[in-house]
Amino acid sequence: MSEDSAVSGSGLPGERPKRPVGRTASGTRVGRFFEGGLLRGGVQGSPVLRLFLRWVRRPLLPVMRLWRRNIQLRVVATTLLMSLGVVLLLGFVVIGQVRNGLLDAKVHASQSQATGGFAVAKQRADEAAGTNGTGTGTAPATADGSTDGTAGADGRPTQNVIQWMSDLVESLSSGGAGAFDVVTLPVGDDSGGGRSPRGSGNVNPTSSIPADLRDRVNSGMTAAQSYTRIVYSNGKESQPALVIGKQVNDPNGRPYELYYLFPLTQEEKSLSLVKGTLATAGLFVVVLLGAIAWLVVRQVVTPVRMAAGIAERLSAGRLQERMKVTGEDDIARLGEAFNKMAQNLQGKIQQLEDLSRMQRRFVSDVSHELRTPLTTVRMAADVIHEAREDFDPVTARSAELLADQLDRFESLLADLLEISRFDAGAAALEAEPIDLREVVRRVVGGAEPLAERKGTRIRVVGDLQPVVAEADARRVERVLRNLVVNAVEHGEGKDVIVKLAAAGGAVAVAVRDYGVGLKPGEATRVFSRFWRADPARARTTGGTGLGLSIALEDARLHGGWLQAWGEPGGGSQFRLTLPRTADEPLRGSPIPLEPKDARRRRRPDDSGTPRQEKRATVPAQQSGGHVPALPSRAPIAPRRSAATPATDPTALPGNGNGARVVPRPTGSVQRSEERSAEDRAPDAMAVRPESGQGPARPEDSTEPGEAFRGR
Amino acid sequence: MGADREGGVRRRRGRAAAYTALGVVLLAGCASMPDSGDLRNVESTPRQDTGVRVFAMPPADDANPGEIMQGFLEALTSDDPEYDTARKYLANDAARTWRPERSTTVLANGPSIETDCRAGSRETTNSVTCVLTGTRVATVDAQQAYQPAAGTYRRKVHLTRDGKTGQWRIDELPDGVVMGKSDFQRNYTSVDKYYFASGTSVGPAGEPVAVADPVFVRSKVDPMTQMVRSLLDGPSDWLGPVVRSSFPTGTALQKGVSGLAPDDQNRLTVPLNLGASRVAPSKCTEMATQLLFTLRNLAPTLESVELQGTGGRRLCDLTEERAVSAAWHGSAKRPEYLYYVDGRHRLVRMPTGSTGTGSVQVPGALGEGDKTLRSVAVSRDERSVAAVDNYGASLHVTSLTSDGSLGDALVTSRGATPDERLTTPSWDARGDLWVADRDRQDAALYVVEHGTTKAEKVTVPDLPGRIKDVRVAADGVRVALVVEKDGKQSLLIGRIEREDGTGAAPSVVGLRSAAPDLEEVGTMTWAGDSRLLVVGQEQGGVQQMRYVQVDGATLDGPAPGALPGVKAIAASEDDRVPLVAYSDDGIVRLPTGAQWQKVDKDGTAPVYPG
Repeated sequence: MSEDSAVSGSGLPGERPKRPVGRTASGTRVGRFFEGGLLRGGVQGSPVLRLFLRWVRRPLLPVMRLWRRNIQLRVVATTLLMSLGVVLLLGFVVIGQVRNGLLDAKVHASQSQATGGFAVAKQRADEAAGTNGTGTGTAPATADGSTDGTAGADGRPTQNVIQWMSDLVESLSSGGAGAFDVVTLPVGDDSGGGRSPRGSGNVNPTSSIPADLRDRVNSGMTAAQSYTRIVYSNGKESQPALVIGKQVNDPNGRPYELYYLFPLTQEEKSLSLVKGTLATAGLFVVVLLGAIAWLVVRQVVTPVRMAAGIAERLSAGRLQERMKVTGEDDIARLGEAFNKMAQNLQGKIQQLEDLSRMQRRFVSDVSHELRTPLTTVRMAADVIHEAREDFDPVTARSAELLADQLDRFESLLADLLEISRFDAGAAALEAEPIDLREVVRRVVGGAEPLAERKGTRIRVVGDLQPVVAEADARRVERVLRNLVVNAVEHGEGKDVIVKLAAAGGAVAVAVRDYGVGLKPGEATRVFSRFWRADPARARTTGGTGLGLSIALEDARLHGGWLQAWGEPGGGSQFRLTLPRTADEPLRGSPIPLEPKDARRRRRPDDSGTPRQEKRATVPAQQSGGHVPALPSRAPIAPRRSAATPATDPTALPGNGNGARVVPRPTGSVQRSEERSAEDRAPDAMAVRPESGQGPARPEDSTEPGEAFRGR
Repeated sequence: MGADREGGVRRRRGRAAAYTALGVVLLAGCASMPDSGDLRNVESTPRQDTGVRVFAMPPADDANPGEIMQGFLEALTSDDPEYDTARKYLANDAARTWRPERSTTVLANGPSIETDCRAGSRETTNSVTCVLTGTRVATVDAQQAYQPAAGTYRRKVHLTRDGKTGQWRIDELPDGVVMGKSDFQRNYTSVDKYYFASGTSVGPAGEPVAVADPVFVRSKVDPMTQMVRSLLDGPSDWLGPVVRSSFPTGTALQKGVSGLAPDDQNRLTVPLNLGASRVAPSKCTEMATQLLFTLRNLAPTLESVELQGTGGRRLCDLTEERAVSAAWHGSAKRPEYLYYVDGRHRLVRMPTGSTGTGSVQVPGALGEGDKTLRSVAVSRDERSVAAVDNYGASLHVTSLTSDGSLGDALVTSRGATPDERLTTPSWDARGDLWVADRDRQDAALYVVEHGTTKAEKVTVPDLPGRIKDVRVAADGVRVALVVEKDGKQSLLIGRIEREDGTGAAPSVVGLRSAAPDLEEVGTMTWAGDSRLLVVGQEQGGVQQMRYVQVDGATLDGPAPGALPGVKAIAASEDDRVPLVAYSDDGIVRLPTGAQWQKVDKDGTAPVYPG
């Protein structure tokens, strides 16, 4: 709260608004969530993007709402997600294991097969070289010829390689129809006899053997293996395979690459079988877990929902609601405890209501009972007072004191009666269209004598146009008189400005003084019963301490607001806002609660930027000041509920409404100073000399004590 | 009331128990391997082809002449449809003029490049002559007919260095391709194409008789289209004079047709350049028959053939069932009985499908056993039987009816010993009976038309020796002869030419060797449309039983299991019929996929009809 003090003194219930406020707060949380998550980034972006996001968001909203509100959905969804995660993890692990196992076995078998094949190829090359050598009778020449075979010179050694290679590939591959295929490739870009790629089983040799495997095989004489996809030349679908290759020499001693390709078709089939099994099992498990979670949560959630429903009805005031209790489990215990609690609560509330009713009754009775003797005492005192000049000074002084305090006692009694009438709900509103200017004129006229006495000028602003509202003229006048008299008393002789305005279904009267003002936090307390600015101040002086409370009750009865603003040393302003028609809820006030000439506004720069206005008035929505009055209000709850919608915080007075108020100095109202300056600023009160009774009795004597107001 | 409700509860409980039991049984069924279940057809999956493919590579840059030659020869063994890669080894002119389809020369060990291919001192001349040499095994001519060949192969190939690119290229070479025997066997496959024997029809409906004409096609280069083209091109030169094709001259596949293959229903559509008006329905059926018989060699599952004329109009179609009745086809006729002479000299028969040893004597005179028989032959329609008596001196024909009697001898021989008298007779589909007289003085080949008339002497021009055995093919246009000369026997295949209308006896011409490597031929029989089963021995070898192709090519298929002392064998053109032999163990039989089984210890002369 800032240094000044402002409060909403309206007749807004303190307790009821909590639920709607909580709901709207949660509602805006969704908005904030989306705006934060979806829109915050896009807000700076193009409007198209924003539109798109909104369009995307719209169908999601019901889902989100369901998600927030349905604990069963949340639990089931979480269970599903978690079990899905576990199943996926498990599936990956198991599939990985199976794959590795299958592959290991295949690799071992393939390696031994391929190694045997390489040995056979080498052996056959040696044999062929041997027979060639013996055939031509130049065995050593064969070896020689092989070294410079690139010249293509040795006709005999190179002659048979074409056929020999094809025969070799055929014989090597004949052992494994379907199980493996054999491919030969030339080393590098070697060309010549037997160097064309050969492949069994329609394998396309060049595209089936990976290039890096060929490099590895070419770089050494050891066998190497790799994984590849076999590409078939007859349109058969390609398939993964293990390929093992080695560089081998042909009968001429020239190297070529020999590859064994082992299709992994069978392994893949096994793996896909495992995959399918796991997927099916996993699906079943997830569905099963989801169903279990649903069932279990349902068992818990159903009674909880029932309890929530009962609790809601209970909190709505139907205290006789009870939960149905079956069984002996935890839920049953909850139900029993809940029922007991509800019963105790009902009992206590009943008790408190009775007590409160009794108290009010008591106060009312006491006030009534006191009136009869008081009248007698009054008459006697009047007689004594008339004859005081015949007494000795001490006795004369006592007689004056007696009359004085009797006045005070009478007004206190009247206020108490009025308050007890409000508390009992007996106050009735007699609303009719009235022009508030008339009321204000009457009130100012009534306060004129007091003002003159105080040296204060009362100015009325905004009375050029009629300010008409449906209101109870008597009550409004009482409220305004209270405010004006208070302002004059605490105005320290400075001007008091009464401002009238009407706009947007509301009329307002603000009373501004430039006296000692309110300390921070006091704006909430001025409406409390028997509250005084200075605790040290004696009860014997000043008003009854009930004036503002009664004024507040009057405003509330109209469905209007009574709010206070003040700053220490800067004076204060009280504002009464009434709806133009009796049942219309208030949405705002034509006059800002914090006046334009507030010190706080003037200080930063003289131009008085309207920016600050908003900040200053925001705290006005505080409603803590009404808390003490609460218990006694319970019986009149239905009537108040009509005023509930008016509690929208955004409609609180002052926000932007100030622009409509034209601070136009109007013709100065005649000041009358009837009363002594006894009621000055609070700090002045302490040193104030006791003055006589308020001779300015209001004209309307049917409402005793109305003119007596305290702070 | 109470009892009623109790009953209801009990019934409900019983039903629940029944459902549970049913569920348990079903689950248990799922959890164990089935031991019974529904019947289903097994889809035939094609056997995986493990054949080796050579992927030809274009010549490397700056390759020397030797490498160019090697690469070229290797490219010839690849599956390149038009030898495009091989042509890259040729100079431009040579690539244009070279005709690889002109012939295929098969060399025993592949072509060798003689050493003078090395340019040596003439390196600067940019011109080199290489010589390809090898031992010839066979040649396949432009009509794709196989012919065994011998002798050395020697061809010159000239290479020049291209002036612009500086690369060696072949600019002079013989037409055709040359390759080693095993490459040939890998790349080529023997397929029978079918024509009809001219002037021959059998049966009451006058069906034409299908004659097989084996050719070699490249097995991995769209063989079906190749076969259709080859069929349309007409029969090979050797068979040409005695067969006719029902396709009109000039019939060809429509332009741009390739990759013929049966569809999912095993139907094949063949688009021909024939107008619908030019084809009579019966002719069209014959054409389709030829196509179906031919293509079923390549695709045994083929079920029907549809001929399409120009403009995509359907000419006719033919299913396999109808084809059987549309033409007489030796390998489609399953013989009903196996005949042999039992220990009591009776001619008995047993059903071909029989797995037991029970046999029944045939009706008629030969079933009585009052005459010992040396050899018999049952006509293809199994109505007549020809028998040679124990001395081989006379040939009688009788019918297989109960009242049939042994008639007069149709042919008699005056040879010195039984082995120099009449051979085992042989029937063809027309009903002609063939028999040879082995008399050293008066050797001759006789034919008895329809088994009834007088025997006529058949002229065999260019006969290199004395006929020792004769088997006429079912189609009646080819005859297999075992001819002995200087103690060595050879298996010859001859073509039977008939001068229709003149009344002259037919002659056997165009003799050619079917098994050039066999030195001694004991006995033989037809075992397929163009296949013979021969018992013989190669030079320096032992007696063995093997299949030979009529064109002299050796077949890859496995030979029957060895059997000692085979004196006679009987096989049918239908290869589902078990092979039967007369050996040291009497009559034995070889069912498919089994070992030799004894049929009759004392029986002799086993024959199937034919």
